[in-house]
This record gives sequence, C-alpha cells and structure tokens, in this order.
Amino acid sequence: MTRTEILDELKKVIAPYTTNKEMLASINEQTDLIKDLKINSANLVDIIIDAEAKYDIEIDYDSADKMVNVGTCIDVISEKLNEKA
Amino acid sequence: MISTGNDIVALSAINAARTNQHKFYSKILTESETPLYNELSLAGIPFEDFVWLLWSIKESAYKFLQRHDAGLVFTPVKFVVKELHLQPAYIIEKFDGITEEGAGFNGYPALTGIVTFGKVELHSCSLLYDKLISTVINDTDDFLNVYWGFKLVSDTAHENQSNEVRQFLIERMKCLYGEFDFRIDKNKNGCPILFKGNEETSVPVSLSHHENIIGYAFRG
Repeated sequence: MTRTEILDELKKVIAPYTTNKEMLASINEQTDLIKDLKINSANLVDIIIDAEAKYDIEIDYDSADKMVNVGTCIDVISEKLNEKA
Repeated sequence: MISTGNDIVALSAINAARTNQHKFYSKILTESETPLYNELSLAGIPFEDFVWLLWSIKESAYKFLQRHDAGLVFTPVKFVVKELHLQPAYIIEKFDGITEEGAGFNGYPALTGIVTFGKVELHSCSLLYDKLISTVINDTDDFLNVYWGFKLVSDTAHENQSNEVRQFLIERMKCLYGEFDFRIDKNKNGCPILFKGNEETSVPVSLSHHENIIGYAFRG
C-alpha cells in the first residue's frame, strides 16, 4: 500500500473518534491526533485496535508510542505491513 | 517534585464490551496488575471500571511527570500500579450532584494507590462513582494540600469543555486567593500554566475533560 492509500483508510479509522470533521477532511502527515483532531487520549487505544483490525497487523507498545501524528501513524502501519509481507 | 496530575473518565462514554476484551485491556494493564482486581471484584466493581480506573491513575501519573519531562511519552503499560486499596465496606456510590470540590480526601470513599514509572513512585487517590472516575496524583500519600474538583457540563463540544474547565479552576482560585486576574494557558509542551495577571505562578495545575465531565487538580 502507498502512503496515500494508508492515509485514506486511516481517515476512516480516526473518524469515529474526532468531532473536528473539518480538520479530518484536510488532514496531512503533520496533523496531531490530540492537539489538532481533538481526540481524547482515552480513545487512542481504540484507534490502535481499529488500525490493527483494519490492516491485520499487531502494533506493539514501542510502535504505539510513536503514533502521535498522522505521519507517524502511517510510518508504523507501513512498517508493520512490510514486516507481514 | 512539585507537580500535579489528574484525569477524568466519564463511564457513560466507555465501551464496556470492548474494554473487557483482552486485546483492549492488555494495552493498558500489565500482567502484574490484573490480580489487583480480586479485591475490587468483591466490592462489586465491574472489570471495565477497574480497567479505566487504572487508566486514570496512569494518565494522571504521566501528567504529573510530564510537567518536568517534556519528552515523556504516555505508554500505559510502562506505568505500573503496585497497590490499590479500598475503604472497608466499600460500595460504588451514586453521584447525584453537579459539582464536587475538595482539598484532600478526608470523608470521601477514595481508592488509594501506588503507581510507579521506572524507579519513580507516586501516590494516587481516586473517586469512583456510578458515572465517573476522578483521579489525582501526588508525590506523597498526604493529599491535604491537593485541591481538586469535577463538574458535569451540558455542552460536550471540545472547545466548551476546555473553556469550562479553565473557568471552573479559576473560580476555585478566586475563592481561595481572592479576585485576581487569573488565566490559564498551555506551554509549548501542552502543560497548563496558571498566570496571575501577566505573571506565571509556581502553582502546578492539571486539567482533564471527558464527554460531559470536567475536572482540575492543583497543589496549594
């Protein structure tokens, strides 16, 4: 999957957990999950689990640590997809 | 270390079925923490409340430490709750009010705990009601100088929660210290800072909101 394809799918994963739909529509790799998308920290575990299910991957604690913005989320998902291939 | 940290969980907003799945709670709890549930289960506390109670302790501890370590990342399983104590004959009480505020927890059915991050050991006090969890962290088990409050609000929009929790804290500050021009800004690391006029105060403050509940803590 390309980074653009991952981003398109990631938007769907994030959508239920943000009320900032305007920002979601225009997210880029620098968009911060908490500061920009106003996602409550209590929902970060939901996003990790939904991403694991969506891409059939497992995201370990150290990788989850890195998932603070959209770009780092794509990095982690991409890395896990490559490990699986 | 002079700091503070708090967290609020609105239990109406949690997904109980998902919380009870191992793949979910294993991202929050360590294996050593699961046995802490034995005592809580006897008091009728649901497992999902236990998971979110530990989440709130861990997130509060993270906030306490992050004030002095801007690069700290919140990884729930790296914060380990070592002890969790219930008061005798504990039962989950209904919260029928709108606002609750205090200094320390004398007279409250608080759950006390110890949480560690590496070699650092911190103390927690949590209130668990039918609809919410409110936790504050301190570096000693004496919470008398820890001021806290939580409040139910009607507008759950993020911006409203953010404004309301600031106003809630400022009103408490004014009650305690007088009608000064208090305001709260976040620093570049996302830590809330209390200003009196244009002057930054040394009072550490912590803010939290989740769905329809907002809460604060500070060291007096």
